[in-house]
Amino acid sequence: MTPVLKAEKLSKWYGNILGISDIHLEIGSGITGLLGPNGAGKSTFLKIAAGQLKPKIGTLTAFGEEVFNNPRLFRRIGFCPEHDSAYMEMKAGEFIMLLARLHGYAGAEAAEKSAKALDTVGLLDNGDRPIKGYSFGMRQRLRLASSILHDPELLMLDEPLRGVDPLWRIRIIELIREYGRQGRTVIVSSHILPEIEAMTNEIVLIHQGKIFAKGDIHRIRGLIDSHPHQISIRCPQPRRLAETLVASDFVLSVEFGPDGRSLTVKTGQRDLFFESLMRLIAEAGLEVEEITSPDDNLQAVFDYLIGK
Amino acid sequence: MKENEALCVVFSTFFRTGLKAKRTRVFILLGLVPVLLMLAVRVMEGAGTLEAGAAAEFFARVTLALYFQLLVPVLALFFGSSIVNEELDNKTLVYLTTVPVRRRTVLLGKFLAAFLLAALLVAAGFLLCFLSASLRRLGQAAAWGELGLFLGAALLALLCYMALFSAAGAFMKKSILIGLFFIFGWESVVQYFPGVTQKFTIVHWVKSLLPIPPGEGGFLIFQLQPSPPLQSILALLFAGALFLALSVFIFERKEYIFSDNA
Repeated sequence: MTPVLKAEKLSKWYGNILGISDIHLEIGSGITGLLGPNGAGKSTFLKIAAGQLKPKIGTLTAFGEEVFNNPRLFRRIGFCPEHDSAYMEMKAGEFIMLLARLHGYAGAEAAEKSAKALDTVGLLDNGDRPIKGYSFGMRQRLRLASSILHDPELLMLDEPLRGVDPLWRIRIIELIREYGRQGRTVIVSSHILPEIEAMTNEIVLIHQGKIFAKGDIHRIRGLIDSHPHQISIRCPQPRRLAETLVASDFVLSVEFGPDGRSLTVKTGQRDLFFESLMRLIAEAGLEVEEITSPDDNLQAVFDYLIGK
Repeated sequence: MKENEALCVVFSTFFRTGLKAKRTRVFILLGLVPVLLMLAVRVMEGAGTLEAGAAAEFFARVTLALYFQLLVPVLALFFGSSIVNEELDNKTLVYLTTVPVRRRTVLLGKFLAAFLLAALLVAAGFLLCFLSASLRRLGQAAAWGELGLFLGAALLALLCYMALFSAAGAFMKKSILIGLFFIFGWESVVQYFPGVTQKFTIVHWVKSLLPIPPGEGGFLIFQLQPSPPLQSILALLFAGALFLALSVFIFERKEYIFSDNA
């Protein structure tokens, strides 16, 4: 099967800052999650794929054609950029209508396509309002509308859930899954693993400009889960809590914090540890002020996976 | 979609948006300055504070200089460079470059919208100034001929400067600064150089079109060695077309990198 998107030896840097390096990747139909910490190169990859940037070395083709300065391709491609940008003085309906007309729809068809796109993201009733009056989340949904209004075969979404309220997160995730079910190609970038997990099993891990791993999310999840997690707990009696925790099967080590009111626990079974933690605290009658996990960000996981 | 239809869509959208833009309002106010000055001179002339003919002289010596050496180039700089720069500052370029329309169509549509807006601003102010200065000559055909010539020269100057600054805006982000150096440095100084050198300024060709007899126009024609009118018109049209083609060339090939890339 011919891939929809194909990158070969793809590299891009800005001055002496590396964007992406030597990427070989083929993406076919369905949903692919592009996962990596901030600055990993996800946006650079998507911007090259959307014809916003030129590769420095290598090639990237969509539907077998190079993308930069190839306007014909944009009938088949939809791109939702990550940055919060819009023609603030325009009304949302006017903005979407402009794009609909530039996509080649005229008159009633353009109006119908615009209305459908705005309706899909729940902004139809706000179409007459200037964009400058929109909240961040509404502008994010408007960007999504701008990328789907022409029913593209290849849809690329750069952090599409950023700033969106919980209800719309669920709806957007469902919309993306529906696109995937229709056999279209959807590429979604995020630095939040659960967001990607909710959409697809197929992920590409990108880190420091390189493809770090590619494949089924469960395999990646396994790697991540085997990473010893650190959990910080603040409580008035850290020694009593430590006594209780070291007896648990899920705790690898306990360290006291310099403030005398906190401790850091290392566990190899994060989920089971959290399940038992509440029970242990309740049984010992201890008071806990705060529980945080510094490992809950993707950067920490990547650092672990690459052996830093 | 045909490219000419896309051009009309881009033109009409950005002309409408431009009418409501803050920049346009600022330039409307700026364009009123010479009109108010002209009216003040007219009133003083009418009241006898200034001698008869003072308004016409003020128009020839000050208003024309204000328009051709300051307002037109500055207006062209802000409108011309913003065609691409504004899209970069607001990070909205992505919307116009991910549609199935050639980049040149987008640039030309935006250029036409900006040019029409700037031309309306210049023409309206200029007309009011001219009417105040030539109140007693309005019945004469020669006065209207002069107005046509002034307006024609102003529009040609606007076209040429705007095309140049549009190319600068497509090429670099800080084009305003470079443009100000060009207007108040190169254009202001080199136009007074003797011989062929002054022909390397836009203002030389513009001034060559102005119907002011040598020796009577004050600093406007100081050391001007005018070129023939037809040659001046062709030079301005050629330079305008060349700069516009350069804008298109740059805009179609250049990748625009925002600071948040990587």
